Amino acid sequence: MSSLLDSYTTELRRGTLALAVLSQLRTPQYGYSLVQVLEKAGVTIDQSTLYPLLRRLEKQELVTSSWDTTESRPRKYYVLSDYGLEVFEQLKNEWKKMTLELKSLLEGDVNIESD
Amino acid sequence: MNLIDTYIYEVTRRLPEKSRKDIAMELKSTIEDMLPENYTEEDVMEQLEKLGNPAVLAASYRDTPNYVIGPKVYDAYIHTIKLIIPWAILITALVHVVESIILFTGEQSILNVIIESSATIIGSIIMTLIQVFFWVTMVFIVIERVGLSNTDLPLTKNGVSWSPEDLKSIIIIPRKKIISKGEIIFGFIWIGIWGLVYFNADHLVGIYHSINDGGLQFVMPIFNQHVLLTYWPIIVAFIILEIGLLLYKFKAGQWTYPLAWTNTIIHSASIIAFFVIIKNPNLFNPDVIPYFANIIETNAISVENTMNWIWRGLIITLVITLVMEIYDSFRKARI
Repeated sequence: MSSLLDSYTTELRRGTLALAVLSQLRTPQYGYSLVQVLEKAGVTIDQSTLYPLLRRLEKQELVTSSWDTTESRPRKYYVLSDYGLEVFEQLKNEWKKMTLELKSLLEGDVNIESD
Repeated sequence: MNLIDTYIYEVTRRLPEKSRKDIAMELKSTIEDMLPENYTEEDVMEQLEKLGNPAVLAASYRDTPNYVIGPKVYDAYIHTIKLIIPWAILITALVHVVESIILFTGEQSILNVIIESSATIIGSIIMTLIQVFFWVTMVFIVIERVGLSNTDLPLTKNGVSWSPEDLKSIIIIPRKKIISKGEIIFGFIWIGIWGLVYFNADHLVGIYHSINDGGLQFVMPIFNQHVLLTYWPIIVAFIILEIGLLLYKFKAGQWTYPLAWTNTIIHSASIIAFFVIIKNPNLFNPDVIPYFANIIETNAISVENTMNWIWRGLIITLVITLVMEIYDSFRKARI
């Protein structure tokens, strides 16, 4: 029973992952700093999911990356591209719409009308 | 320290060459970020535990699918396999049956030949199936990897994306009306065997005498081969008609009235032809009757009478079988 719940919860989370990551990349972040920011906000993300996800976002040109070698150890920074920002805004609106819809469903106060 | 490099190696060796260096560098700096200053081996272990199995991590870096044949082409793949396998079995079996009939010299007992050929046929069929399975799978792996279909939708068996239009070409066949592929394949094998026996009757159909080493010796043929062969145009015509009928059955896939009628006409005609051929008094080898009479110690007349009874019984059986088959085909066509 609980494993079923786990799998559904994971599935729900997975859908929001890209949005959560994109939201934090308006300022440049490197892998581990992103983990910390997300964790601080209560979003736990599997690190083995996050790093591949970042690369995928880069490949889709939603984020750009650059190596910073000035510090003690080299770090790869990711930041939203213009295109990424645009997609993020749209996705954010979709999310808002979706939560509203779901909220009314979950609270059960939908006015049942025949179309 | 060493553990980190080993972990990174374990991940990157599973990745394409060109992305290895970058991912390695990023992983290294990330893992080091995760660790406290002056970390111990235990700290490293703990962090690597979080990153999980290197194979899994590598798989999530890769874009290519983790499966050999994905859901997009799976349906088309299974359909192709199902389509090819019965024919592969048929052709393999037919080739071997033809081969063993042609190579049959009468030196070995028929039973031995049948057992030996069956073993070879089963072996060859298994080999063929492995080959078919391998090559079809190879082709579909290529289709999967190269992505011959440009859509993201699953391929249907016609190789294009599904649309409601496809429903128009689907014929729903009631289970009872279906002509099974097995039936058709059996039909082909049956025709093949009869054809071969007919043209090789002089050294296949005959009287055999068992000899000491368990083998059988061919004593004499039952039929006059040259008389038998005078009917060859009729036989060839019927072989062609029967093959045509089988193809028709294969195409239709179910019993219909036109098919039932065609079936009735062709089979009735072939039974009539069979009677005509049997009726020819010169058909049988004249030496057979005295030979039998000698063996069972009776006169030629009673042997001939017995033989006549056997033939009559055979003809009646054939007619009854034919009538039953025709009745059944019309019953199925009516459903």
